[in-house]
Amino acid sequence: MTTNATHAGLLHTTWGTLSSHYRRHPGQLAMLLLGLWVASALWSGVQAINASARDSYARAESLFSAQLDSVVRRDNQPLSLDAYLTLRRAGMPVSPLVEGEMTIDDGTHLRVIGIDPLTLPGESSLARQQSDAAALRDWILPPHRARIAPEQVEAARDDSRLPPLETDPSLPPGTLITDIGVAQQLLGVDTLSRLVVAPGQSLDLPPSLVRQSAAALASPGQLTDSFHLNLTAMGLLALIVGLFIVHAALGLALEQRLGMLRTLRALGVPGRTLVIALALELLAIGLLGAVLGIVSGVGLARLLLPDVAASLDALYDTDVASHLALPWYYWLGGLAVTLGGLFSAGLGMLWRAARLDILALGKAQAWRARLHRQLRLQALAGAVLLAVAAWLGWRLGNRPNPQELALGFAMVAALLLGASLWLPPLLAGGLGQLSRQLRSRPRLQWALADLQLQLPRLQLPMMALLLALSANLGVGSMVGGFRLTFLDWLDQRLLADMYVRPTEAQHADVIAWLENRDEVRVILEARHAEAPRLDAEGQATGQPLALFGITPAAVMQRNWPLLETATGRMAAWQALSAGNGIFINEQLAHRDGLAPGDTLYLRGPQGPVTLAIVAVYPDYGNPSGEAVLSASYLAERFTASPGSLGVVLRPDATRDVADLQAALGERFGLSGDAAVDQRAVKRTATEVFERTFAITQALNVLTLAVAGLALLTTLLAQAGARRAQLAPLWALGVSRQQLIGLQFGQLVSAATGTALLAIPLGLGLAWALVAVINVAAFGWRLPLHIFPDQIAMTLLLAMLVAALAALLPTWRLWRVPPRQLLQEFSAA
Amino acid sequence: MLQLTNLTKTYPTPQGPLHVLDGVDLRLAAGESLALMGESGSGKSTLLHLAAGLDTPDRGDVVFEGQSVSALSEPRRAALRRQRLGLVFQQFHLVPSLSVADNLTLQARLAGRADTRWTQHLLARLGLAGLNDRYPEQLSGGQQQRLAIGRALAAKPRLLLADEPTGNLDEAAADQVLELLRELIEESGCALLMVTHSARVAAPLDRCVHLQRGRLAEAGP
Amino acid sequence: MKRSTLLLLLASVIIAGLGKAFWPTAPSTHAGYAGLGEQASGFAQAGPGHTLAFPEDHGPHPDYRIEWWYLTANLESADGRPFGVQWTLFRQALAPETGDNHATGDAPWQDRQLWMAHAAVSTPEGHRFAEKFARGMALPAGQGQAGVTAAPFSAWIDDWSLTAESVGSGFDRLAVRAEADDFAYRLALIAQGPLVRHGEGGFSQKSADGQGSMYYSQPFYRVEGTLRLDGEPIAVTGRAWLDREWSSQLLGATQRGWDWFSLHLAGGAKLMAFRLRGGGEGDEGAYLSGSWITPQGEVTALDEESLRLTPVETRDVAGRELPTTWRVEVPARGLAVTVSAIHADQWMGTSFPYWEGMVTVQGSHTGEGYLEMTGY
Repeated sequence: MTTNATHAGLLHTTWGTLSSHYRRHPGQLAMLLLGLWVASALWSGVQAINASARDSYARAESLFSAQLDSVVRRDNQPLSLDAYLTLRRAGMPVSPLVEGEMTIDDGTHLRVIGIDPLTLPGESSLARQQSDAAALRDWILPPHRARIAPEQVEAARDDSRLPPLETDPSLPPGTLITDIGVAQQLLGVDTLSRLVVAPGQSLDLPPSLVRQSAAALASPGQLTDSFHLNLTAMGLLALIVGLFIVHAALGLALEQRLGMLRTLRALGVPGRTLVIALALELLAIGLLGAVLGIVSGVGLARLLLPDVAASLDALYDTDVASHLALPWYYWLGGLAVTLGGLFSAGLGMLWRAARLDILALGKAQAWRARLHRQLRLQALAGAVLLAVAAWLGWRLGNRPNPQELALGFAMVAALLLGASLWLPPLLAGGLGQLSRQLRSRPRLQWALADLQLQLPRLQLPMMALLLALSANLGVGSMVGGFRLTFLDWLDQRLLADMYVRPTEAQHADVIAWLENRDEVRVILEARHAEAPRLDAEGQATGQPLALFGITPAAVMQRNWPLLETATGRMAAWQALSAGNGIFINEQLAHRDGLAPGDTLYLRGPQGPVTLAIVAVYPDYGNPSGEAVLSASYLAERFTASPGSLGVVLRPDATRDVADLQAALGERFGLSGDAAVDQRAVKRTATEVFERTFAITQALNVLTLAVAGLALLTTLLAQAGARRAQLAPLWALGVSRQQLIGLQFGQLVSAATGTALLAIPLGLGLAWALVAVINVAAFGWRLPLHIFPDQIAMTLLLAMLVAALAALLPTWRLWRVPPRQLLQEFSAA
Repeated sequence: MLQLTNLTKTYPTPQGPLHVLDGVDLRLAAGESLALMGESGSGKSTLLHLAAGLDTPDRGDVVFEGQSVSALSEPRRAALRRQRLGLVFQQFHLVPSLSVADNLTLQARLAGRADTRWTQHLLARLGLAGLNDRYPEQLSGGQQQRLAIGRALAAKPRLLLADEPTGNLDEAAADQVLELLRELIEESGCALLMVTHSARVAAPLDRCVHLQRGRLAEAGP
Repeated sequence: MKRSTLLLLLASVIIAGLGKAFWPTAPSTHAGYAGLGEQASGFAQAGPGHTLAFPEDHGPHPDYRIEWWYLTANLESADGRPFGVQWTLFRQALAPETGDNHATGDAPWQDRQLWMAHAAVSTPEGHRFAEKFARGMALPAGQGQAGVTAAPFSAWIDDWSLTAESVGSGFDRLAVRAEADDFAYRLALIAQGPLVRHGEGGFSQKSADGQGSMYYSQPFYRVEGTLRLDGEPIAVTGRAWLDREWSSQLLGATQRGWDWFSLHLAGGAKLMAFRLRGGGEGDEGAYLSGSWITPQGEVTALDEESLRLTPVETRDVAGRELPTTWRVEVPARGLAVTVSAIHADQWMGTSFPYWEGMVTVQGSHTGEGYLEMTGY
């Protein structure tokens, strides 16, 4: 007697009845959508940035520079054609490369790379395509061809200087590749920028040339992964906070519709039909929310991406497209994550609907017993999670290595989740304790008891607030600490007032000239070389190590920061000056487990060199291992060519940096990059740094805003029920002003309690970030700084968020006419 | 049409098992109206729930129109409720987010047999004409219960199960609702099993039985 | 002339993108032959009227599309094991030197000549090879990554070279060297006889339509030198054969590949023979040609009437069926021999792959030599 048609009709009627709730209470639907929207918007925004930037790195890495070693002149001057031909005629498989910047007609900057496809080694994206004979012909013969990244192809098409263009999506943004002859013409040079060679090939280079291994040039992928991991973690946090809203909204919608669900069951709707209808409802809401979220996520990413791209460009020397290029799986992924989140939040609702007890129709809810049971469970689960976090923290706190980055994040997740699970039991316990103390103050006691009553509904937004506050505090501490340390370190490292980079030929003359100037206090000479590491048996191991030569002048010894030394600062500097000691950076120490007192074996041009590690120095912002020697020793044993000269001026000098710059320009023709004011260097570094963390801060603020929204929506959703609870009090003679004050006070105190828990949690998070995540991701450890003003700010923020969220419902209560309160009283 | 045989239902309580129904036998003929009376906690509502297939007996059988209700699966019992039974509760249990018209036709629509003429007739008979677009909260108690009765009858059930339908109403409203209920029952030829504790409410029905400590004692009309 | 022609074709295929027509199994190349055909009109054409002049013709002929310097050597170590050496330099003009709107200018990279070189060593058990590319550069003679000068003769690409001892010695005394990852060699070559002009005074016809190339050889080298395999030096002696060939006109589109022989026969005679396959069903349309060279260097041209080349046995090499044993007959000279590869594994897995390896001669005459097979 039941047919498919009547089944469809049954489902249709059931769904219509269920959704009539949202038609009557569009606010709840809006809140649900809002939660989904912000959650998925923040998440997909971050993912969009990641996807786009990753694409750029992948393209940069597939380009030769990440795969091929380079040969350059020691003095960094361009190479002549003869130098190249001499190497080729000696049988060395080097290939010439011309690189430079050009500005095309519309002002776009292009990185022009000229290659010789006939000698270019390997399978790099440069060498590709030319295996085709016809393509090779086109490439070599006029009018030639150029391959260009898709981002710039439109702009470049109109430039008549460029050869016919072919779009190559595998090229990094802003890159144009063409034949070497064409590139020379475009760039107006007749020299070569560098030579490239396959990494495995051995070369026997003349002393004027030096080989730079591909691996020694930082691979942006590896490096920026940690940056993106941080972004992803922020996005995930936002998603979770958003899902708290969703969870709260769904819980509310179910609570309010429990009667309706039971009635429907009594009227003959099978449980299965009910669950299907509810799931369909979730799906519809989820799709709508996800689409909204993803679209605005992309908008958010567009907003943030230029900053991200600029930071990554500057920090890591990676070209990141500053406009979005999103692969299909990005859209699908965003949808899946949003729907997955929604269903995880809705699962509880579906479960309860499926197990609905029809006979409980109209029965009062034993909320207190249920709440207590739930709080016990939460406290237990939270304890387990916190124990896991503590164990992981203990394991990782000492010497984490990069593979443990994921564990580090697991620890942070366990810490955050465990603490948020503990929040409601702690609040309930605190309230119970307080209300017992306040027996003599009936109104306050009522307020506390009433707050306890609200706890089941308030707990989710409060947990969201807790997460947002601790993230704010934790990340804030880290950034603040980083800023302090970093600026300090910059001051120490950039000791000189100006930096001069003379050519090799000028080097000695410039030193002599500077030494004769009265305003110059000391000249700090720097050099750079690379040497293969050896093991104790003299066998080469791994990649060459970058070596830096510094001048151990007194001013340097006083200021250069050292983290650890073998036998004290003095001894360390003495060993360095004498040439038998070497300083290594923190990254090398972490990566290879080296410490002061260990020995480093290197292969120099004149044979093996054995050096004692006498100190470890901090080297923020540098991804790779490095070591420092005295410049004169480096020149002697590793034939390091002259590098830059740091010039420290006398404090009482009458002439300043600008005067010296002018004089150098006049005497030696050194200007621009060849004579740099230190303040400018520092300014640039600081800017880069600030920009990077501005993004983190922006996401932080957004997360906090989302938590505020969660609170607001919850309050709005229960405003009606609240009024019914407040009405009897009003009837008993509590004025409306007092009621409003009570409500305000309740929320602010709940938020304050939350913030109090957020403080230790935030500090724990800050510790996890600087001592675990940072070390694992970047290889350096930051000192943990605590900023009391930031803590105070967190407390204030919490109260502000609570007050803001309470504002709207309170204002509505204020506006309710007494007649309606009266009605609600009688209804209650 | 409805035959209850040896119905037994026991609930576990902290004080030990509570025998709510202890071997109840009851027959109801088509079109017959029966009042089920008893003290609070005498098991009236449990009996009604068992008859409606909302709950299953520990022992005994509910046979409705020759079909054993207890033996049916949950979806089949749900189908039985929406197709052949009408339920009226003391608390009305209207859907607050549906309008009067939508509430009235809800079960009929669930059963897939909404009948506009019958619905219009019911609206008029129940004195709800013109209130179509209101919501339950905007109706008086009597109006709400009339609407609940209308919702049950709109699906043209074979049997109406009513649980203290006037329990929440004042005397005047109760009388009005009962009068209307009897008239509509007669009109539609539907049987009625009404749980009540009030002899006044039970009086106009064809038959009346008493439930005492889980057992049945029949009283004359 | 044998392999040269093949390689001529090969090189054209590789560099100019003619692969598809000649080379059905070659890596696909794009269409666009039409444009190439038009440009071909700007090149000089080989023909029977040309007279060869030395040492000028030892040098490059940039007006012709393709050209090579092709050396093969049959060698023996002190303990009697057979070794083979190949050294080849190809030149290819991508476009005629005149008639283009875009001036090539003086910039060294703006040159239309491409150079490609193959070097190989066949050992008694195996085969090693390497490949190099370079582009011509508008630089004074003798400079650049690759090139050839006529007097003193020198041909080179990177550190591979084939060089005369002195200005006046032409091809008489040459030194050849090449080095790759897994082999190297340095050999001294001393000519024991005169240069040999193939075909009509050096014009060698390649098909019935009359197209062909300029082709001469020095087949009379005595060789002495050292191979280095896996760092181990091996002293060797033996015989070598140098081919010089240039042309602009390529073969018909239906020709599939070539089989080319250069044989040193006991008694001092030499045989050059080739067969261009295709142009009809099976091998029916094959074009046969060759030269019988007396120990004194006198040449008799051979054609399909006087020369027979018959595959006898095939082997599976690099996934292809290759005839590694042949029946070679020149009835007028009483020659009826079986020519077989010393071993099948002498495959050149270069950009455009082919088989090039040492062979032995048994039958009416004994001897040794080189065989080249392409288009399988």
